[in-house]
Amino acid sequence: MRKLVELKYELDKCVKCGTCRSVCPTFRVLGRETACARGKLTLIDAYSSGAIGLSDAYLKHLKECTLCGACRDTCPKGVDTVAIYNAARVDAVQKLGAPVAASLVFKNLLESSKVMDAALKIATRLQGLIFKDATAESGLLSRFSLPVIGKGRLLPPLAREFFLETSEARGLPAPAKTGKAKVAFYAGCGVNYLMPDVGKASIEILKKAGADVFVPSAQVCCGMPAFASGDAAMARQMALKNLEVFEAFDCDYITTSCATCGHGLKHMFADVLSDNPELSSRIEAFSAKVIDINALLVNVLKYRSGGKETGGKLVTYHDPCHLNRAQNVRNEPRELLKSNKNIAFKEMAFPCSCCGLGGGLSLTNYDLSIEITERKIESIRASGADIVATACPGCMVQLRDGLHKYGVNARVAHVVELI
Amino acid sequence: MLSEIVKRELKRIVGEANASFAKEDLLCYSYDATNSPYLPDAVVFPSGAEEISLILKMANSEGFPVIPRGAGTGFSGGSLPVEGGVVVSTERMRKIIEIDTENLTALVEPGVVTWELQTEVEKLGLFYPPDPTSLKFSTIGGNIAECAGGPRAVKYGVTRDYVLGLEAVLPTGEIITTGVRTAKGVVGYDLTRLLVGSEGTLGIVTKAHLKLLPKPETTKTLLALFPDIKDAAKAVSAIIRAKVVPSTLEFIDSACIKVVEEHAKMDFSGAGAVLLIEADGSAESVEKEASTIEKICMESRASSVRAATGKYEVKDLWKARRAISPSLLKIRPDKINEDVVVPRASIPDLIAGIEDISKRHNLLIACFGHAGDGNIHVNVMYDKKNPVEAASAEDAVVEAFRLTLRLKGTISGEHGVGTTKSRFIEMELGPAVIDAMKRIKATLDPKGILNPGKIFPKANGPQKAGFAGAGK
Repeated sequence: MRKLVELKYELDKCVKCGTCRSVCPTFRVLGRETACARGKLTLIDAYSSGAIGLSDAYLKHLKECTLCGACRDTCPKGVDTVAIYNAARVDAVQKLGAPVAASLVFKNLLESSKVMDAALKIATRLQGLIFKDATAESGLLSRFSLPVIGKGRLLPPLAREFFLETSEARGLPAPAKTGKAKVAFYAGCGVNYLMPDVGKASIEILKKAGADVFVPSAQVCCGMPAFASGDAAMARQMALKNLEVFEAFDCDYITTSCATCGHGLKHMFADVLSDNPELSSRIEAFSAKVIDINALLVNVLKYRSGGKETGGKLVTYHDPCHLNRAQNVRNEPRELLKSNKNIAFKEMAFPCSCCGLGGGLSLTNYDLSIEITERKIESIRASGADIVATACPGCMVQLRDGLHKYGVNARVAHVVELI
Repeated sequence: MLSEIVKRELKRIVGEANASFAKEDLLCYSYDATNSPYLPDAVVFPSGAEEISLILKMANSEGFPVIPRGAGTGFSGGSLPVEGGVVVSTERMRKIIEIDTENLTALVEPGVVTWELQTEVEKLGLFYPPDPTSLKFSTIGGNIAECAGGPRAVKYGVTRDYVLGLEAVLPTGEIITTGVRTAKGVVGYDLTRLLVGSEGTLGIVTKAHLKLLPKPETTKTLLALFPDIKDAAKAVSAIIRAKVVPSTLEFIDSACIKVVEEHAKMDFSGAGAVLLIEADGSAESVEKEASTIEKICMESRASSVRAATGKYEVKDLWKARRAISPSLLKIRPDKINEDVVVPRASIPDLIAGIEDISKRHNLLIACFGHAGDGNIHVNVMYDKKNPVEAASAEDAVVEAFRLTLRLKGTISGEHGVGTTKSRFIEMELGPAVIDAMKRIKATLDPKGILNPGKIFPKANGPQKAGFAGAGK
């Protein structure tokens, strides 16, 4: 990946026009120049040139960002803000060292395996006790930050049975050779530990759509949480491990029902492994196969819903940043929802605005994160929808928490659960 | 540098969390869209007139500059702390206090983003027309200070035409209320008009009473392509002459067309210039005006005229139009960005004259803007690192100003003078006028603490070259 020093030309592209102020969800809440891209780039530039050091203020402003990418999308000069933020985070972690506790947790996620699973298993029985204080600090499942008690925060319980352990997943260890496409399913931590039902629904739909779907059991965390927190070394190891696991199978597509994992697999792997030219053709072949489940269902498998009952009256859709902006998947989830004759669909205002969870913000600054969510929840309220569909377990966690906190009576579901 | 006592007092006035002296914060309040930074000594975020009054009183007794700042998106350096001092940001003052649907007025704080006000009033069937290109991020306070215009000025006028009255703090700290809440009012001098466009040198606006209009029933957007740029310029004059008043009449030359094509993913190949024209009003009158405009464009040798279809095309088109200025820097590394205005009938002469200047100096000069009201953004593209090119770019700008004034125009329509044009105002204004302005400034701000270093050329020798830089 490009280091901060290599991004100087990218920093210099910013002409300080201020357009980023119109889209930044963090700036919207904080209302200060230090929150928007123009300010952050100024600080990163000042840090790079030695005008300021790795001060607390600098780190604070770096962290006050969901990495949603709205500023990059709107920038008339096309400054790759997200690449700069990531490089700055990685640079800071390299200089300061990753927080030890977080490294340990990521290491366990890397090894996936029995130890971590066993520890989490115990946790499912003792939820809210064991992880009560440790979680926020440790970065455990950091996009989801499990039970931090207090502040009336609604957090998802750990699944009684993790997705990769379910019969639905375990029964599919290798590709069959009959259907239209051989599809490897990547679950991701959100689906595996928190929302196995989304995984089960994904498998069911993929089968219905005629795919030969299978679930490589040795898959590990995609590394996006580690990467967002600046731990590129850990993300790199996770990328390598997953690369090996998926290369062992002959498949046409690698799909996932998590927007963030999809973005990670498709883009971040190449980024963190770019230091090794020998890997580049392997990465290229791997990335080319990665496709979000919505895009796979619509564009490849031509799936249309048979008319599932949703139990709701009106459905709206929230665009995950990592799907809409990072993977250009916008219409496909809407098409899938609209293909269900039992769904009345209504677009909400600002469907593409960030839910507030990303970039590790919900972990490092929950108050700010959930305040960003407020605007989203207002949009949902105004739409009158009683089901909010989306396509990212991370967004689902944040939206559920937000709906609860701001008192809106709507249910959050993954697109695959509604078709 | 500020003394410790001043720092402590500032904190006391606005609250600990709303005053900063940290380098990280100062860096982020050192620039505007001219992209030429000056570090302030402090940045404060007051909540209203009372706090600003205390700060200004202290500035007078302790002798430090105070620089009001909205979103920091101006093109003339109006919000730059050129002599250091305390930046007063209006970012916390962002309430829409009242929208009066009976009297068609709004009362707002200066930190309200223009587009947000427009969105709110449009929900109620009302309309706030001033639409500077930066409307999605610039603030009402900044718009008032610079008297911002925009595409709709051709029909609806500029910010000045929508300010009924103000609450403002004078440089010496007095809180005053100017203007009226009525359609008419002639009691005393028109201080409202004096403050609007005064670039934050005569007072800090803390509340604004704005005039609203009923929202036009419908809008139609037309795109006219012209192989020859001169024909496009003539079409602009012909439309005005035909007594049709479009709500916007934007001119885009071939260099800018490329930028629009890239942004909006549209194809204007073969066009030497494009006119982006909107008509608004009742459905019936819009159709009638649109067909007149179409006829005139075709008679002026347009190669095609078509209506933009659907909300998304119109939205994309405007997004691309608004992106022209910063995007131009993809063509050349630097630019000098001026916003001259000529009487509308002289648009063809201005365009021809600029083309001539461009050829003589062998520099690309990209032109776009609000042709309907005679306001053209003239962007001289060059490379700062090439000293010969840089020198001829400056010459080209001076020549463009001379041309503008010869055509009975003005050297700035909506950006303001600030730091970037101060050394040129003598080209346009006579010594007696400048003297009168200076006396007004000295009367209201005897110690010269409010936004110093702006508008007036420095007495001692020529200023450092401070052209309108990379911004916009």
